[in-house]
Amino acid sequence: MSILATEHLSKWYGQVSGLNDVTVSIPAGITGLLGPNGAGKSTFMKLITGQLRPSKGQVRLLGEPIWGNPALYQRVGFCPEQDAFYERMTGREWVTALTGLHGLDEKTAADAAAEAIAAVELTEAADRKIGSYSKGMRQRIKLAQAIAHQPELLILDEPLSGMDPLMRRRTVKQIKEWARGGTSVLVSSHILHEIESMTGNIVLINNGRIVAEGDVHHIRDLIDEHPHTVSIRTPQAQAIARELLAEEGIVSVRFEPGGLVVETARPDAFYARVTDLAASGRFGPIHEVTSPDDNLQAVFRYLVKA
Amino acid sequence: MPIHDQGYRRYGGRLRPHGTAWWVIARQQMRAVLSQKRYVILLILAWIPFVARVVQIYLAANFQQAAFLATSAQLFRNFLDQQGIAVFLLIVGASGAIADDRRANALQVYLSKPLTRVEYIAGKLFAPLAFVLGVTLLPALLLLVVHVAFAGSLSFVTQNLYLLPAILLLSITQALVGTFTMVALSSLSKSRRFTALTFTGLFFFTTAMYQALLRITGSSLWALMSPRDLLSVIGDAAFRIPGPRALPLWAALLGVAVIIASSVLVLERRIRGVEVVK
Amino acid sequence: MSARRPLPTPPTFATGAVRVFSLSLGEMLWSRRTVFLLLVTGAPVFLALVARIVQGTGVVPLRVNGAAVDGGSIFGMMIWLFFLRFIVPVLGVFYGTSLIADEIEDRTITYLFTRPIRRGAVLVGKYLAYVVCTTLVVLPSVVLVYFLVVPIGQVAQTFTAFAADLGLLALGLAAYGALFALVGAALKRPLVSGLVFVFGWEQIALVVPGYLKRFTIAHYVQGLVPHAMPSEGIAAVLQSVLRENPPALVCILALAAIVGVSLFLGVRAVESREYVLDQ
Repeated sequence: MSILATEHLSKWYGQVSGLNDVTVSIPAGITGLLGPNGAGKSTFMKLITGQLRPSKGQVRLLGEPIWGNPALYQRVGFCPEQDAFYERMTGREWVTALTGLHGLDEKTAADAAAEAIAAVELTEAADRKIGSYSKGMRQRIKLAQAIAHQPELLILDEPLSGMDPLMRRRTVKQIKEWARGGTSVLVSSHILHEIESMTGNIVLINNGRIVAEGDVHHIRDLIDEHPHTVSIRTPQAQAIARELLAEEGIVSVRFEPGGLVVETARPDAFYARVTDLAASGRFGPIHEVTSPDDNLQAVFRYLVKA
Repeated sequence: MPIHDQGYRRYGGRLRPHGTAWWVIARQQMRAVLSQKRYVILLILAWIPFVARVVQIYLAANFQQAAFLATSAQLFRNFLDQQGIAVFLLIVGASGAIADDRRANALQVYLSKPLTRVEYIAGKLFAPLAFVLGVTLLPALLLLVVHVAFAGSLSFVTQNLYLLPAILLLSITQALVGTFTMVALSSLSKSRRFTALTFTGLFFFTTAMYQALLRITGSSLWALMSPRDLLSVIGDAAFRIPGPRALPLWAALLGVAVIIASSVLVLERRIRGVEVVK
Repeated sequence: MSARRPLPTPPTFATGAVRVFSLSLGEMLWSRRTVFLLLVTGAPVFLALVARIVQGTGVVPLRVNGAAVDGGSIFGMMIWLFFLRFIVPVLGVFYGTSLIADEIEDRTITYLFTRPIRRGAVLVGKYLAYVVCTTLVVLPSVVLVYFLVVPIGQVAQTFTAFAADLGLLALGLAAYGALFALVGAALKRPLVSGLVFVFGWEQIALVVPGYLKRFTIAHYVQGLVPHAMPSEGIAAVLQSVLRENPPALVCILALAAIVGVSLFLGVRAVESREYVLDQ
């Protein structure tokens, strides 16, 4: 079942189009939402969190429309991008008060808030005023208010912003744990390698349209006009190159110290051939075969600049 | 790609001399307020009394029956008093002068440039001051010129030589008090709305307080708490309007000086590159 | 995370409003804005103190046309001049227009609008917090002024009027607050509209003969005042001459209707409007 489905979703701000005819279905699990600045990510986030009304089309979260349906927020947790708080309140007070708005009684809300604060490792600072928190702590307390009511769907807008590298890793790990616990997560971020460390499932937005959705490797394969680049580390680079040039689909071969870099339009056949060459042993050892552009960064670069 | 290969080069042109950065801030402020339609409308409306006075001067100069409208010192005094729209210019144009920068955490950015706090404050003060003078001092001076033009002689001016310094004193004092107060209030908050309301409250409330205290105690010394009444005393003295005044002129000038000095003190304490959160 | 809790029932409108009220009251009471509130409501107390001190020296603090004005009348004048004509409407504008506008400016509205409570409940909850906050500050100020200017000997005969003053000020705060809550929810720049209403429209409508004054809040609030209106200035003289005195019940019902209709329309505005935050 899809956790989020949009159909011909469009949003105009006067004459300016923020989002244009977006139809997408996001499955359960962790999904990364990517796009350059001005792509329409923020507009998309605001539409799916019910902050904006669609100009056209519809948005359904967990099978229900979100605009004007506040009861749905019982099942959804949102961590917005903006750094905005009731600065005079302590972290505990703030999360407890917001959790109380979900219909939990005072004690349960306090317990839920404490649990969420512990999950983001802020227990020690929970009774300090938010105004005194560092950027990373503010980000974490924001996460805490999003998860305290145990939502089925978490929507996180730049959740790792302002965190130090260690905390980023821990937060990524925490997000994956929540997903394993049954919570679906939609993460919007600019930090490609961190999205990659969380999930292979992405939605890529550019110029107000969905440019690609699905598994990142699958998307990479679909980008036909951009040949795959494969790097082979071997002492017998020239011999290997001679063999490979006879194959169909080879676009170019470039020699580098310790190996060669091949561009191929038919990666599946190419990998099979390299495996045969390695197994035959006729051309010496092949130490390493890597694809520098079979990753999110390459997909992002190809699709966004296309 | 190395930054040099991307075309970046050290700036080889002339740099503005130190101490002129305030103009950059002032210019930006002026552009920002003039881009607001409602502000431009207010500026235009502010000149309507000038047009009415021009008509009055024309009629008085050319028609015997309109002699009762003859130009006098009172005309200029009343004109400056009636330019209360300048208060709205301050509310709309200057309430966010520093509040917006504080909200956006831009103070640190500004003060990390080769820009002193004095230049920053001067830049912020310049724009509202210029616009307020533009609807008080400038039209008042133009009214003098208009009178000379319609009367065809300089006799009124030569017989009332004190008028020019009186116009300058009152309009500049009004503009300074209003601008300094508004910008100082703006530095106390991150909300332009809060600043505007506090300024409005001070403006109306202090006058009401003075009137009440005057009635209760019979002492007009309470006028020291009302900027509006202080300016009234200065105006009456400058334009040689007869009659008892609430305060001696020196006391009113002192009161105005205290207001401006307090505003400067507030600005000095609030315009900092860092903020300590306890 | 621990085992999933059963999904609680989303709060009703009333429960949601009460929860938002609890959240907002503390924020409102301890904000810098309250300093302004205390200064404004402290001023009449200061005046009353001065009057008391002057009276203590044997000097009559206030004379009108040469005749000494007693404590009860001084209190009545202060109710008119300070509370009715300035404090109550200005607080209504100040707080009422800020209920939603502040949350938008601070960009904290997202947290409230992404909860399982109706947006209208957020507005109502914050409005209730405003009513409590302002009455908690304004009414004690009125009490202090009363006991400072009214001699003990006059308390018995003026107490009913004093109680009526407390009630009408609370109603006035509620009515102005509700109206400006609507203005704040519906308009992008509510402050100027609010000031124009209070210092422009109401002042003009009250001096123009005819039905126009019925489209002001001041008309109904002033209709409840048990004291004579002081005549300070031309506008006030005109207002006192042209003043109609609708029956108290009509005034109370009209004010209640203003509160109800304004809040209803405010709820509708908040629930249908999109709030785009500055990035």
